[in-house]
Amino acid sequence: MADMQARLLYAGPDFHSEQHIHPEPTGFIAKYVFSFDHKVIAKQFLWYGLFFLALGGTMAMMIRWQIGNPGTAFPVLGELIWPQSGGVMPPQAYASFFTMHGTLMIFFAITPILIGAFGNLLIPLMIGARDMAFPTLNMLSFWTNVLAGLAMIVSFFVPMGAAAGGWQAYPTLSTLAGQPGAGQTLWIVGVFFTGSASIMGAVNYITTVVRLRAPGMGYFRMPLSVWGIWLTAILNALFVPVLAAGVLLLFLDRTLGSHFFLAGASVTKGGGDPILYQHLFWIFGHPEVYILILPAWGIVSDLLSFFSRKPAFGYKATAISMSVISFLSMVVYGHHMFVVGMSPLLSQGFMTLTMLISIPSAVFFLNWLGTMWRGAIRFATPMLFSVGVVFVFGLGGLTGLHLGAISSDIYLHDSYFVVGHFHLTMAASVLLGAFAAIYFWFPKMFGKMMNETLGKWHFWLTIVPITIVFCGMLIVGYGGMQRRLYNDDAYAFLQHLHGVNVWVTRAALLLGASQFLFVVNFLSSLVAGKKASENPWEVGTLEWTVPSPPPHHNFDVIPLVVNGPHEFSHPDVKGKDWLAQNEPLPSEPAALGAVGS
Amino acid sequence: MTAVAAARFPARDESRRTSFVGMVMALASWTMLFGSLFFAYAILRLRAGTWPPDGVEALPRLLPLANTLVLLFSSYVLHRGVRAAADARFGALLGALKATLALGSLFLALQLAVWIPLWRSGFRIDSGVYGSIFYGLTVFHALHVLAGLVALLVLVPGARKGRYRSGRQSAVRLSAMFWHFVDAVWVVMFVAVYLL
Repeated sequence: MADMQARLLYAGPDFHSEQHIHPEPTGFIAKYVFSFDHKVIAKQFLWYGLFFLALGGTMAMMIRWQIGNPGTAFPVLGELIWPQSGGVMPPQAYASFFTMHGTLMIFFAITPILIGAFGNLLIPLMIGARDMAFPTLNMLSFWTNVLAGLAMIVSFFVPMGAAAGGWQAYPTLSTLAGQPGAGQTLWIVGVFFTGSASIMGAVNYITTVVRLRAPGMGYFRMPLSVWGIWLTAILNALFVPVLAAGVLLLFLDRTLGSHFFLAGASVTKGGGDPILYQHLFWIFGHPEVYILILPAWGIVSDLLSFFSRKPAFGYKATAISMSVISFLSMVVYGHHMFVVGMSPLLSQGFMTLTMLISIPSAVFFLNWLGTMWRGAIRFATPMLFSVGVVFVFGLGGLTGLHLGAISSDIYLHDSYFVVGHFHLTMAASVLLGAFAAIYFWFPKMFGKMMNETLGKWHFWLTIVPITIVFCGMLIVGYGGMQRRLYNDDAYAFLQHLHGVNVWVTRAALLLGASQFLFVVNFLSSLVAGKKASENPWEVGTLEWTVPSPPPHHNFDVIPLVVNGPHEFSHPDVKGKDWLAQNEPLPSEPAALGAVGS
Repeated sequence: MTAVAAARFPARDESRRTSFVGMVMALASWTMLFGSLFFAYAILRLRAGTWPPDGVEALPRLLPLANTLVLLFSSYVLHRGVRAAADARFGALLGALKATLALGSLFLALQLAVWIPLWRSGFRIDSGVYGSIFYGLTVFHALHVLAGLVALLVLVPGARKGRYRSGRQSAVRLSAMFWHFVDAVWVVMFVAVYLL
């Protein structure tokens, strides 16, 4: 009864009167370039992110080529980029490429695709809103990001090349002593701008979720995708500013000669401290890895339920676990710095807090398995990629324990084990999650279906090599190979591992090549894909109750939400096995009527 | 957002509440930004044996103290202005905006009066970590004061025309929130950098 009353109050006639229907812009620039429409901005972010994914991926291929085939020219591109060395990647370029590979993938591929594109697309459509709370801010966020991307691209062409101090840009590798060129300064500018864009987006996302949920859409009726993106937004708003502060001080050190990170002054004179940057970086950096993975977790949690035709097992527990992890991620950053010489007491505290993350992680991981357990699973491409996320994230999560424990971390620190671990968690899992999301929501975004056969080939030719690549890295790391080595075959103690490295490179090249299947599928479906119906996957979340693609204002009438997001196989529903979120059960009284106009 | 809240607030307040939530999140973000700078200061200071470091003169306190009072008074004046707008006394709002603009400009002028003699005496951003902290924090803050002044200046024409009627006051309220935030940061900065 109380619930009924709440619905009636929610459905008051003036509620959501602020969400007017604006006429659709007609000019090209207003419609496609400086658009305020969250769906158009989502597409802009998607194209933008895919461009950088291709760029960062190509750089990864070149890096692996150098490790697997040292001293040989990278086919075709090598001759063009490094003619003076006969196409062989020189050491300075190698450092530059692994630095920029990390930076571009994290800030310009994963963030735009998962957060920029799917955050923008899904939040309003899934919570039943006509647009974001602040459409102008949304547009600014995208174009600020473009400025940042330009700074990064320009940095490749300045004297001495792009930044080469690692994606963390630790001083003194990143101060004038280590990086005299303008590339590192442009890197700082780029990171600062993309961070500002992230914060603008985050403020918008949080406000939209808090304020614009359709009547009846309580927090615990939101799809888990929205939960994931919302938690990511909160972490973004709170912790990206810490990185901004860190790079701001680095900028002052580089341009105005300040001493923040300059070690070496005497005790009495008071000196700067390079370790200070590491603190700032990792206070941001640890939440950042959850910023990257949380949207994928949420999306996968939804998709597993959708394609198992079962309600998500432990829906609330999953949402709460993700929230607890978001909180814990704020207080564990010290585990990245076990070897800098911090107090053992502090290290142990950080280790304990880190290990605590396993508890909520195990909860939602088991919920994923519970969701699939005895489900009527439909193995469509999005589902295959979702199961892939479960698999690679399991590997990545378990290897995290070895790095969270001080004793094993001291051995494994800065080894390829770390590289394998974080790629499994925030590269493989996130990439597979992004593909799942693209295959799943492509019909809603573009009104066309993607090709299932190509999609399945793409899945199998991705999951197998991606597992080999990153598990191979775990093995060579455990064997003692340091990360960022230019020429592992030059060291006697690593020569027995070279065979593994060769195979990792071969798998990586296969992985890279198989992405062309995706490119072909994406582009051909865009042009000639089968027309998508309103609800091709037969699921109940609100975006599937409107046409594909949705009209400019999303909902003609703001929906009244009466169900959770995963109402599958309800015994009272006849003729289909799903129920839309705004569709009352046949046994319930007729709908209370939708509101607003 | 509970049903009760939806019932309590009339529809015209919806948009104002949305922008309020957004501003709170934006200020939370800014708090983390300044918090990180204070954290950096704390770490560097804890690492130093003596503070100020040997051979560096302690910073002046009288002028910055006066400046703190200027900013606090400006916050009070602006607060009165926002209250006046709520009562539809637009003349008072305009007066308060002008007074805040004057006080904010006075603050920046006094900041220059602190910086210039110090800089001339050889105490600069590149002359050691103490100078880096001092100029890094205070100049970065002053840029925010400048941004706050621009935000208030933009409001003046609207206030003159009496545009900020009930239900249209978000711009005034949000700019005032930012101004109070920048003032609060200054108070912490004054205590941390000049007094402690």
